[in-house]
Amino acid sequence: MGFPRATGEVARQTVLLLMQNRLLWVVGTAQLALPALSYLLGGAIGDRHAGRHDYAVTTWTLFVFVLVPWTTLYCGVQAVHADIEDRTFQYLFLRPVSRAALLLGKLIAVAALSTVLFCFGAVAWFLGFAARSTLWPEGVEFELVAIYAQAIAMAATAYAAIAVLFAARLRRPLVWGACFIVGLQVFVGNLPAKARIRYLTITDPVRRFLLDRLNPDRQLAQDLWHWEHEFKPDLIGQPVLNLAILTAVATALALWFYTRSEYDSRERE
Amino acid sequence: MSDANGADRVPLLAFANVSKWYGQVSALMDVSFAVGTEVVGLVGRNGAGKTTLMKLTCGLLRPSQGKVAVAGHDAGSATARAALGFCPDLDRLYERLSGRAFVAWMLRLHGVGSAQARARAGEVLEQLGLGADMHRRIGQYSKGMRQRVRLAQALAHRPRVVLLDEPMTGLDPIARHELAQTIAQLARDGVGVLVSSHVLHELEAMIGRVVLIHQGRLLAEGRVADLRGQLRGQPHRLRLGSERPRELAAALVRLPQVVGVEFADAAVQVALSGEPGFYGTLTALGAGSAGLVEEVQPLDDSLASVFGYLVG
Repeated sequence: MGFPRATGEVARQTVLLLMQNRLLWVVGTAQLALPALSYLLGGAIGDRHAGRHDYAVTTWTLFVFVLVPWTTLYCGVQAVHADIEDRTFQYLFLRPVSRAALLLGKLIAVAALSTVLFCFGAVAWFLGFAARSTLWPEGVEFELVAIYAQAIAMAATAYAAIAVLFAARLRRPLVWGACFIVGLQVFVGNLPAKARIRYLTITDPVRRFLLDRLNPDRQLAQDLWHWEHEFKPDLIGQPVLNLAILTAVATALALWFYTRSEYDSRERE
Repeated sequence: MSDANGADRVPLLAFANVSKWYGQVSALMDVSFAVGTEVVGLVGRNGAGKTTLMKLTCGLLRPSQGKVAVAGHDAGSATARAALGFCPDLDRLYERLSGRAFVAWMLRLHGVGSAQARARAGEVLEQLGLGADMHRRIGQYSKGMRQRVRLAQALAHRPRVVLLDEPMTGLDPIARHELAQTIAQLARDGVGVLVSSHVLHELEAMIGRVVLIHQGRLLAEGRVADLRGQLRGQPHRLRLGSERPRELAAALVRLPQVVGVEFADAAVQVALSGEPGFYGTLTALGAGSAGLVEEVQPLDDSLASVFGYLVG
């Protein structure tokens, strides 16, 4: 079985396995209520902000900052570490496919599932705002959804890479993942531009990507990057490249550990 | 090449001077043996190194020294894994999948097409007696049913070498009997089977040869009877049925080969030294006018006895 076919088969099966997880169904079903919620929110905000501002800030907070990191981390750990923890990895490692194909298939599955789930959510969230024409004096900006869909896809892929790295290497990947999200994404990722350590985060390049594509006014830039008081376009840099490097390094490390580790295959007492 | 049993000795599985250390701890030391198209038993106490040996064969572990080959390929290589089926001693499965979905998925990873994989998975599960339950979730299966699923995933892709780690676990007597027949059929079909079990009398019934592992070392290898024959330092024990056990015992104690006699109901248990000539005398005692011996039953030709003598 060739590498691409094996990767695809593992990805397909991982998606099917993950879709049996109740948490994903709860999140997916809850998103059906998002149009109503955003419609109500749009009414509550009134004419203080334009619709693009409200949608941009709330989608950033709800999806890119909260739902995508935590859900992707959870799914990545479930896809990789659950096998290692309960020893079922043996059944997979016995097959004539490379471990790299197994891990990449799982990573792709997690990234794809998270992307689809939250792009659907971002669209649902947009619908409520779009239904209030008073929020869009210059017409509804449907391209906002496309921009956020790209941001969600980038973030989901990067978080999936981090999740499988932690799952392949660490004994308690969810704990380490929580530290990664809270420590790096929430605190370090929000530091002002002069703090170069931001490059180690996913939050920072995704936000710079959004700032680049949204062409924000001063208020929106301030709301998306609280700690950077004087946002200037030249602070954007190359967010896609930064995130691609982070994702590639995390994936390479995950592959290294996953393909070389002798995981404990004994039944626990 | 064939041995005395007619078992093909082309090494489908070969261990050559294999050692495995976990840090300072030695799990296997310089183990060498081969398995052809036959059923070989792997026997040893807990922690003797049996599971390590199986994991090395699967490529789940790498040898610290030496070489393991499966069907002529390095263990752990994709070609070796394609030729191998492994039923682990592990009660963990993908609980949310049905038995057939799980086996079909494993087959898909062997490059089998989707429809063929489902059909073959159903066929194997049917053979193993799970036909009626193959569509239920594994999480709802009994222990015996789960064991059959593990066996099915090991056999579905028609491997050339099969490793079975405690395969009888959880099976009822009928299923055990059927599995023993399945294992024997595998060898007849040209498959090399290495099977470990703590139920030695069941193991003995299905194997041609045995590999005894103790404290990570290969203690003995060969047919059980041959191994027993080589244990010259150990007295051989027989149970002799007789209607006149006292007379029989009196006759036996005069023989130089007899080192001990015990009464047991309508029988005498006798311990023999390795010296020859006893069986000629025994024939005379049984067939002659004395007619003292009605039944002869070896007590320690079993695998369990051999194991006991060797391991202590």
